[in-house]
Amino acid sequence: MKPRPFRRMRSSLRFLLVSLAAVLSLPPVRAAQPAAPPPPFTADGFAVPQPGYRFQFPRDHGSHPDFKIEWWYLTGHLYAAAPAPGAPPRRFGFQATFFRQAGPRGGEDANPNFASSHLFLAHMALVDVQTGKFIHQERLNREGWDAAAATSTLDVRNGDWSLRLADPADASLQPTLLLRGSVHADAVFALTLKPAKPLVVFGENSVSRKGADPTAASYYLTFSRLLADGELVLQHEEKTETLRVTGEAWMDHEISSSQLSAGQVGWDWLSVQFTDGRELMLYRLRLRDGTADPASSLTWVDAAGLPRKQPFTWEVVARWTSPRTGATYPSRIRVSTTDPADGKPVEFFAEPLAAAQELPGTLGGVPYWEGACRIVASDGRILGSGYLELTGYAKELKL
Amino acid sequence: MPASSATVLLLLRRFAARHARLAPRQTALLAGILALGVAVFVSIRLANRAAVASFTHFTDTLTGQSDWLIQAPAGTLPESVLPELRTALAGQAVLIFPVVESTAARPPGPDDTAAFGRATFTLLGVDLISLTNLARQQTGGDSIFTQRTAGAAQTGRAPDPNADFWRSFRSGPRVWVGADLARDLGDRAVLDLVIDDTRHTIPVAGTIPSAKDAPQAPANLLLFDLPHLQQLTGRLGRLDRVEFILEPGPQLEARRAQLEQTLSALGQNGTRWLVSSPGAKRETADTMTRAFRLNLTVLSLIALLVGLYLIFQALDGAVVRRRGEIAILRSLGVEERAIRRAWLAEAAVLGLVGGALGVLLGWAGAQFSVRAVGQTVNALYYATTVASATPGLGEVFIGLGLGLGASLVAGWWPARAAAATPPAQVLVRHAAAAPGQVLFRHAGLGLACVALGLVCAWLPPLRFAGGGGFPLGGYTAALLWIFGGGILCSFLLPPLAALGRGLALRFATARIALSHLAQPSGRHRLAVAALLCAIAMTAGMAILVASFERTVQGWVARTLHADLYISSNGAQNASTQNRVSPATWRALADHPATDVAAILAALPIELAGTSTVLSGADLALVRTRADLPWVEAPADAAIYDADRNAGLVLASESFTERFRKKRGDTVVLPTPSGPKTLVLAGIFADYGNERGSLLIDRRHYVAWFADDYAANVSLYLKPGTDAAALRAELLAQYPGLAIYTHAALRTEILRIFRQTFSITYALEVIGVAVAVIGLALTLVSVLLDRRDELTTLRALGFTHREIAGATALEGTALALCAAAGGLVLSLGLGWLLIYVINKQSFGWTLGFALPFGQLAALAAAVVATGAVVSYTVGRWGARLPADREE
Repeated sequence: MKPRPFRRMRSSLRFLLVSLAAVLSLPPVRAAQPAAPPPPFTADGFAVPQPGYRFQFPRDHGSHPDFKIEWWYLTGHLYAAAPAPGAPPRRFGFQATFFRQAGPRGGEDANPNFASSHLFLAHMALVDVQTGKFIHQERLNREGWDAAAATSTLDVRNGDWSLRLADPADASLQPTLLLRGSVHADAVFALTLKPAKPLVVFGENSVSRKGADPTAASYYLTFSRLLADGELVLQHEEKTETLRVTGEAWMDHEISSSQLSAGQVGWDWLSVQFTDGRELMLYRLRLRDGTADPASSLTWVDAAGLPRKQPFTWEVVARWTSPRTGATYPSRIRVSTTDPADGKPVEFFAEPLAAAQELPGTLGGVPYWEGACRIVASDGRILGSGYLELTGYAKELKL
Repeated sequence: MPASSATVLLLLRRFAARHARLAPRQTALLAGILALGVAVFVSIRLANRAAVASFTHFTDTLTGQSDWLIQAPAGTLPESVLPELRTALAGQAVLIFPVVESTAARPPGPDDTAAFGRATFTLLGVDLISLTNLARQQTGGDSIFTQRTAGAAQTGRAPDPNADFWRSFRSGPRVWVGADLARDLGDRAVLDLVIDDTRHTIPVAGTIPSAKDAPQAPANLLLFDLPHLQQLTGRLGRLDRVEFILEPGPQLEARRAQLEQTLSALGQNGTRWLVSSPGAKRETADTMTRAFRLNLTVLSLIALLVGLYLIFQALDGAVVRRRGEIAILRSLGVEERAIRRAWLAEAAVLGLVGGALGVLLGWAGAQFSVRAVGQTVNALYYATTVASATPGLGEVFIGLGLGLGASLVAGWWPARAAAATPPAQVLVRHAAAAPGQVLFRHAGLGLACVALGLVCAWLPPLRFAGGGGFPLGGYTAALLWIFGGGILCSFLLPPLAALGRGLALRFATARIALSHLAQPSGRHRLAVAALLCAIAMTAGMAILVASFERTVQGWVARTLHADLYISSNGAQNASTQNRVSPATWRALADHPATDVAAILAALPIELAGTSTVLSGADLALVRTRADLPWVEAPADAAIYDADRNAGLVLASESFTERFRKKRGDTVVLPTPSGPKTLVLAGIFADYGNERGSLLIDRRHYVAWFADDYAANVSLYLKPGTDAAALRAELLAQYPGLAIYTHAALRTEILRIFRQTFSITYALEVIGVAVAVIGLALTLVSVLLDRRDELTTLRALGFTHREIAGATALEGTALALCAAAGGLVLSLGLGWLLIYVINKQSFGWTLGFALPFGQLAALAAAVVATGAVVSYTVGRWGARLPADREE
């Protein structure tokens, strides 16, 4: 079996992701906020996000090693020219994730090239929508020569996977990002990502709170729409394809130090980029009795980048069973909510572009489904693209 | 010809099988002799194979086989190569595994008297976290991190996996051990080790997990997180090698080739690093020991060679005993050809049975020879871990083939003799054909063999890639001399008989015994030849070992002048890497009792694809303190002056043999500060190292390799210092050091030296034993042949004891003759072994020394055993009934 600490770490990270998202999408509830300011450090010595923190870029795109957990999470849709005239353009979904987790404070590193103060986990996945072929790879490295995150600017690296600013000194809210990734020997991609909207800072007064504990908070930064342009090299046994690709991506950057525990058995998460220039994100925390946690929520991001929560319902229309893990995942979901632009009800379906986008979670220990979706209206019109995350279907998540 | 085949089968069933039933002991003995010969060969072959197979590329246990690895041509690689490699290999889907490898020993216990030979471990330092990225690690069984830890065991708290995981990395070095060691340690959660010159007590973090299809972790492997091993061995920032594993996926071969191309280009033609594969490493181990193993194989064939004589004699004896029945068959009209084929078939069956037994016996023997061969390989080449060997299908076939081949070769003449038996009507017992009539009666053939052997002795060796030679000519010469000597020696019998008769005229028994030798039969001649073969080889080997020992003693006396010799207690054999840290050797050099401290640095290096050793010493001290045993002394004193010797190098004799260099030639030495072209200024003898070594001034060594560690330190003490007392004082202060006084080191060197020859002795003893059995068999056939004569003697009133005495005398005379001839021949073989075979195989020049005592003891033992055996056979013969089968 796999090292349990990694599984734990991974679980914690994913849980945090959802928890944070849950909190930030709630309407500002001042009553829930503790009157006392949060302490500067957690009990185990990590920094706690402070209200009023003034983000400075590019510094805050970079790593925050005083905080325990941090991730840079990218998902997106890529299109290449049609292989033949008349054929539809080729389409791909990708996921590129960089995690950092700090070890316990104290202790010593014999050699900074092989340090153990931070671990870096990364995950790459690519789905070829035409063929349905889904490939993925996990990577775990210690801080050192083969994995690092700069503290002055965005420059995260894990092996030969990297995410950085085209101009390390770019202080704007719409800096150009460069992503390099690969999946084993099958695919290599290099993308230039230009934000179509300014960076969104979620939460209140720079801090998104997660609960009554004064340390339970995070800094949460998102590029909800990045324009991608780059090269995708697909290696097959008999040939190598080099494709020029363009598309759209989503990126979260979250920084926190808190560890949560809760009774959920899993969660569903969906990000949508509508063709009308808006975005939407929803998550649904599933409880053991099958109901959704009240903290579940749906948030619209308008064209200017402002988030706005709306009530929603989630209905599983079809299911798919993974031949690998035996887990049965929702494979077509109906989401009903309210359009904040006109206050009218709106309904759409999230449909995976390929059924098999399950990640076995070998290093992290948690199998989950994370994949590219199309967003369609009841009448079949394409409304946009999405990325769907479904966890806790293979087994209950123990958090 | 079905009719003829049917006849052969009938003959086999009716006669051969009946004989085997009636004389089971005789048949068993024959099969046994064959089996012994085959067994010795098979066991040595197994041991050899195991020794090579045990060359472990330790990383394989964890990673499976890497695709490529890079290594500095000399010394270590800096960590700065890693980011450079990562950048150069971006997008190539390759995992990069830096590796630190070292060795350590268990500290000597209070009862340990042997200074060397304690268990050594190979310490492997890899990045345990990045290891999880390997596909095989992700599908394997246990993980490295989910195990018991020292901390949890000590506190008795329930283990917290998260805390354990971090503790593995963040609270000092921890070790993961093999399953066997973990079992031995039991609840003891720490391991005591001597690494370099320091004793460490290291918490045991768990057991090394083995991936599903990876080899089981060798018992002597200790696993560390890379930075911890760097810390323990004082090599922070340095790597021993970097391994590369391609991610699975398409175009593997093309990517493999591309990876090598990238690595080679960055390695700058091997000046920065050498690119190789683990398979190539194993091959290097193979070629490194090839000469040694071939020599052992040749020696292992001695017993079979002697056995060949015996089978020949035994089958021939059977022909003699069964002449009567063959004659009857002949008169019944059975064709000659059928009889010959029946005999050959009988020999073949015997050969197959003997071969099969030999394989089994060889397997059993290998369990011992494996250790002996392993020890030698350990001492001379690299660390072996093997403790047992299992025969494969190849060994079974080779064993059966050897048995079959030997029995057919040996059975050829007897089968012909059987076929030539006249029909019963004309059979006269006295006309029994003697074996080897033609072959062994021609002195000219013997002389020709000796002469041809002399020519062969001057042939150059076969050269192997990677250094090392095989003295084919030398061995051919030895074979020719043994054969020729065997022929010539039997001509000693008549004069010996004449001499004996002159002395023993009054004793009828003696006269009878010696009368048979005045005109020795082919059987007598064969027995002498077989014994001579065994004695000559054993004595020849004794001469080689004695010469070697005297030479080494002289070398020790000449080179070891210091009062105390100090090395790491972890340095146990040729392949260990434990050294003395600069702080420690400086402290030793600055000790008030120290007059002069000679520091020797050593580093395994690779030159022209062949591994050798580079040493650094203060060459000025060579002149003032410890002279080198020169083979060719330097012509110019510049070599002794560090200001002038930066372009000079000294080489050991083995080095010059392996690399075909002579004084005045240049050697290009790869160093981290670029290649250095050095002129070979002199050649010295070094019997401690078959791979050869280069010696440069330590000042340049330190400058070029940035390595200030010492392999060993020799202390010359101030007059009046008590070396033993100082040793005790230093040992108390530095428990990680091994310190020898002059006398102790000398004893230790000779002990190791003798240990390496132990296996050759065992092989020789088996050869002599087989030859003595052969003598007994000869006498048995001779007596059977003379059954009429024995009846007559008894009728004349000779007692059983007198007849036995006569036989004993006959046998003793044969043994004496063989011993005399064997000793003379051994001088020749000794010369051949020392000046041709050893020189060509190992490149060591030895002085010639005769171990008179040993040779005399060998001769006496053979003659005495011969006498006893002959007497026993004589007693048996005296009771032989006048005419009865067997």
